[in-house]
Amino acid sequence: MEQLRAPSWVLLVYKIPREPTSSRAAIWRKLKRLGALLLHDAVWVLPATTWTREQLQWLAVEIGELGGEAYLWESHLLLNGQADVLAQQFKTRVNAAYQEILSELEQDEADLVALSRKYQQVRAQDYFHSEVGRHVRERLMRARGGFAT
Amino acid sequence: MKWVTWEQVGVDRMACAWLITKYLDRDAEFLFVPAGQKPLPEGAEPFDLPGVRLSHHRGHCTFYTMLREYALHDPVLERIARVVDEADTVQDVTLEPAAAGLDVICRGIRLVSPDDQVALERGRLIYDALYAQLHVEAAEGGFSAGG
Repeated sequence: MEQLRAPSWVLLVYKIPREPTSSRAAIWRKLKRLGALLLHDAVWVLPATTWTREQLQWLAVEIGELGGEAYLWESHLLLNGQADVLAQQFKTRVNAAYQEILSELEQDEADLVALSRKYQQVRAQDYFHSEVGRHVRERLMRARGGFAT
Repeated sequence: MKWVTWEQVGVDRMACAWLITKYLDRDAEFLFVPAGQKPLPEGAEPFDLPGVRLSHHRGHCTFYTMLREYALHDPVLERIARVVDEADTVQDVTLEPAAAGLDVICRGIRLVSPDDQVALERGRLIYDALYAQLHVEAAEGGFSAGG
C-alpha cells in the first residue's frame, strides 16, 4: 500500500504555568496520546487532518483555561524533502511500538487482551498507515484461540 | 429559541442537540454557519464553538458543560457525558469503550446525511438508544455491557 503523504501539518506552541504540575502533565499526556511529535523541545506537530485540527483546537482552549497561552498553526514545509523526513519520524515511532507488540506476541502465554488493546492505541497514532501495523493486526487475528477462521 | 453551531456536526453536537430538544427547548431551531464565521446570527445561542459559554471547558466536551449550565442531574446523562468526552476529545484516562464506536457512527451519520439538520435528526435515535441502554445498566446496578 502506498504511504499516505500529509500535505500539511498542524503546529502547537504553548506555555502553561509551572503549577499545578498535574495540569501541565495532563496536557503533555494528551499530546503524547495523540502521537504528536515534539520538535526541538519547542513545537508540537501532527499531520493535519480534520481530526487532529479539532483535537488541537480544543487542547489550545484547555491550555488557555489553565492560565496558559497556546498558538496553533497549519503549515507546509518549504524545504525539499523535509515533509518526508518528518513523516518518517512518525512512522519510525509507531513502528517501534508495533515491533514491541510483535516481540511480546512471540512469547508463550502472551497476554492477547493487553496486546490487542495496545495495538488499538498505537493504531490511533498511526497517521501514515504503517505496513507493520497491518502485519501486527494479522498476527493478532491468527493468535486468537478457538476456530481458525 | 434558536441555537447556532458550526457546520459538519459530530458526536458532541449531535448529543447537545438531542439534549436541547429533549430537556431544554422542545421547539429548538438549529442554525449552522461555516467554521470560524463571524458574526454569528443575532438572537441565537451558540454552542460548541471555541470560547462561548456552551463549549468545551476544563477538558470536558460541550455536552458535559450543558449538563452543568442547565443543572441537569441524572446519572445516565452524566455517564453519556463521560462517553461523549472520550468520543470527542483525546483524554488521558479512558473508561468507556463505547466512546470510539460512537464517534465513528456519528461521523458516518453526517456522511450519509444531506445536511447538518438531517444529521442532527438522525443522531437523536443514537442518543435515545444510548440513554435507554445505559438506563437499563444503571437500574441493574452495573457498568457492564455497551461501554
